[in-house]
Amino acid sequence: MSFSTFVTDKDGLQKLYEAIISKHETYAPVEKFGKYDYKKVSSLKECDPDSPIAMTMSVKPLFFPRASKIMKYEATSAGTSIHETGQDQLSGPRVILGVKHCDARGLQVLEAVNKWDYIDSDFLNRRANTVIFSKRCDKADTQCFCTSLDYDLENLDALDVAVVSGPGGKVYLQARTEKGENFLKENLGKESAAGSQQALDEMKKQYEAFAASFRLKMDYKDVNEKMSKRFDSTAYEEATRNCVSCNTCAFICPTCHCFKISDEKIKDTGVRYKSYDSCNNVYFTLEAGGHNPRPAKYRRWRQRSMHKFVYYKERFGVNLCVGCGHCAISCPVNISIFEVVNHVAAAPMEV
Amino acid sequence: MDYSKQIQDIAAKLFAEGKIDVFVGYRMNGFDDNQVPVVINDPKEVPALVFTEKSVFNLSNYLKADHTRNKRVGLVVKGCDSRSLNLLLTESQVKRDNLYIIGIACEGVVDEKGQKMQNCIECIVPDAVVYDEMLGSPRGKKDYIVNADIAGLAVKGLVERREYFEEIFDNCIRCNACRHSCPLCYCAKCCIDQETATIYNGSNTASSAFHALMTWSLHLAGRCVDCRNCEKACPSHLPRIFCINRTRR
Repeated sequence: MSFSTFVTDKDGLQKLYEAIISKHETYAPVEKFGKYDYKKVSSLKECDPDSPIAMTMSVKPLFFPRASKIMKYEATSAGTSIHETGQDQLSGPRVILGVKHCDARGLQVLEAVNKWDYIDSDFLNRRANTVIFSKRCDKADTQCFCTSLDYDLENLDALDVAVVSGPGGKVYLQARTEKGENFLKENLGKESAAGSQQALDEMKKQYEAFAASFRLKMDYKDVNEKMSKRFDSTAYEEATRNCVSCNTCAFICPTCHCFKISDEKIKDTGVRYKSYDSCNNVYFTLEAGGHNPRPAKYRRWRQRSMHKFVYYKERFGVNLCVGCGHCAISCPVNISIFEVVNHVAAAPMEV
Repeated sequence: MDYSKQIQDIAAKLFAEGKIDVFVGYRMNGFDDNQVPVVINDPKEVPALVFTEKSVFNLSNYLKADHTRNKRVGLVVKGCDSRSLNLLLTESQVKRDNLYIIGIACEGVVDEKGQKMQNCIECIVPDAVVYDEMLGSPRGKKDYIVNADIAGLAVKGLVERREYFEEIFDNCIRCNACRHSCPLCYCAKCCIDQETATIYNGSNTASSAFHALMTWSLHLAGRCVDCRNCEKACPSHLPRIFCINRTRR
């Protein structure tokens, strides 16, 4: 099935955004302390859908919240009772503006694990009810390497509507899914004429200029293959010696999905939460008996890199890393997963 | 402020004389003019060492890591780094005999945009306070400047102050980068680590952030040496985490 392309200009796009915000429940990047995070907005003024990728948090918390309630409970001497947590605030129909392509791909990748042995209906519902507007970047940031990975960034279908800037202030809107197609047809005014072959050519040109602007490039197949053979490589130790084990990389990663369960309890009543966890954390594998299978930093890093580039690929056929560079940007000591995996792949084989 | 050559010479000499096992310094990140901390135990890596006004991260943080524990360490410290190192020495966390400290008479470091760090503008002791060797000419003590944010916060009412902090807690993602980047947080088990959290819950909520950051800052109040490693590490760019410490004056 082929989807429509519409053409408009910057003002038209602003108007469309304003119309969406007034009609639908809308989330968009909102600046706070110099960093953009996705929040519910009531006007276009308070958000910036074109926020720079380096300063924007991932969109993952809108699908997999930093802390989500699992249940409420009451435990007294008379017994224990369990209550529902109430309506999920994130599961209603909604629109998210200004998502980055890599973030959208992150959601698509996560769908595989959420549909696996245990079906996470919350995550799937939230995704099914969301229309994602994603602007294709015009220029790659210093830590980006999304074009080097195993997905077609140009025709990515993890998002519903792609926004691409064309020459002379033109803006193209391209539906990528049925949901996006219907949404665009409902919400676009008459001023947005349907795009032609010329539009597709100009979008292609924009993509080529974008793809040429990358500093980081790698061959992901080579990395996948070489990493799977270098489990015992000392290269992990060399590349991650300056890591401070702070967990930031996992907490801001658009695809990390490990969580822990904890209770917030006041007297007899409590709420059970599912919150983020990180495999870079010393306690992550600590067992009740006191044994820790991953006591050293490089082993935890090995787990993290192998999960991104080997294990997930073996199980679900896709790389878990989407090349957004968020981890490298936020790392206090600037460790880049790109550098680590390439350092390991380039290391000599252990005999 | 470029002491790369001197530091390379000193490190090479220390390795050659067998005085150190590990050297902690900075190297270029390889693509732009920013730097990353590096822990080296091979003299061959010495030529990569640099020190300029982009050498931001507090290296005394690495003295609590496995790589340097019970080893003889050479490291580079700026004024603020040396203050935290001094505290580690005072609290018997590291042995002075195991360290070879290259102190810098610091002229202030800059952030990624090339602007001078706020804590360098406010720094009152730019020279290293503990060292074996000093690079650069000592600049002496400067006058104390009251931080505008702290001064502004101090005159606010209780409600406004609570709102200020609530905004911080709402935006905290509870990654604990501040705790792990703090050179003075050397406890192997910390009450704000989510897994060992007992006095409050370990979940990722604003109330948990409140408990964690408040407990953390109470523990650091009076010990904090204002290196602001926590602030530089914060992925949410939360302002003035240290501010919580400072307001207790």
